[in-house]
Amino acid sequence: MAESERDPNVSRRYRELGAEEPPRALDEAVLAASRRAAELHPAPLVPPTGRRRWYFPLAAAAVIVLSVALTWHMQHEERPDPDGVSLSEATQDRQAAPAAAAPAAKPAAEPRTMQRAMREEARTETPEKQLERIAELRQAGRHEEADRLLAEFRKRNPDYRISEEMLGKIERK
Amino acid sequence: MEEVPDEQLMLAYRDGDAGAFETLYVRHRARLFRFLLRSIRQRAAAEELYQEVWMRVIEARGRYAPQARFTTWLYTIAHRLLVDQWRRGALSVVPLDLVEVEGSSPDPARHAEARQTLHKFALALEALPQAQCEAFLLHEEAGLTAVEIAAATGCGEEAAKSRLRYAMAKLKAAVDDG
Repeated sequence: MAESERDPNVSRRYRELGAEEPPRALDEAVLAASRRAAELHPAPLVPPTGRRRWYFPLAAAAVIVLSVALTWHMQHEERPDPDGVSLSEATQDRQAAPAAAAPAAKPAAEPRTMQRAMREEARTETPEKQLERIAELRQAGRHEEADRLLAEFRKRNPDYRISEEMLGKIERK
Repeated sequence: MEEVPDEQLMLAYRDGDAGAFETLYVRHRARLFRFLLRSIRQRAAAEELYQEVWMRVIEARGRYAPQARFTTWLYTIAHRLLVDQWRRGALSVVPLDLVEVEGSSPDPARHAEARQTLHKFALALEALPQAQCEAFLLHEEAGLTAVEIAAATGCGEEAAKSRLRYAMAKLKAAVDDG
């Protein structure tokens, strides 16, 4: 507001209405909270008062719910993947492969998440790229994995015509 | 000795100096309380809001950066809490009989006249639309300019100026009538 709009009479009359102040107890409560908060520096929390009393129980409940959900999720993740290698198959592979694993035993020993990532990647690749990947697996002697990916490829791309040259690379001899 | 600016005190409090907050609190306690009390005209609710405003200040200390005057920031918090209160429909007007009128005149007749005059002014203040009343109180109690009132209440500068002008005109008329 421009200073010219100030009216000293209005201000004076307003002041005459009274000079109420907050009660002493309120001052003490605020100052005590400020001191507690300063001690916690730089933590942003202060003890809840008034309408904010629900903050802490709510935060505690949220932590519990999150913990339970996380535990459940982790347990769920460790279960055998229904889309992946079966448990018996994996066991078989492990038994067949000695500690200094032969290349053929490697896929079963890979973590489930890696296998899943590979399948997900294969799903988003072009058919040509997928075939090249199968050919690489075949060449590396990872036949079971190559067979599985080839079967998946044929299921997803029933009309795709694979060249003779590529067939020679991807099919088991 | 020169007074330490509010913003500097708040920064000191942010960094863990409890004494800085106390200085800041003493500076603003009475004006903030009157602003809230006269905005909602209900003592219990005003006290609760008053405490809430300071709790918000304490909570927000870690994020405080002096982009505006501390006073503007403080009353922005107060305004938001008031709006919440109004939205909940908790506003009720204190009957005029309860408005405490101070009188310094020993003459009962003159005292009664002064009381009458003040009642008229209190009535005019109560009759102001909410936004105009708030603009006036922000100006009178917090010493905010129209630009700062606009910032604190989230309205345009022109709207703030206009609210203040209307409020002043009505209150001035009440003073002149008295």
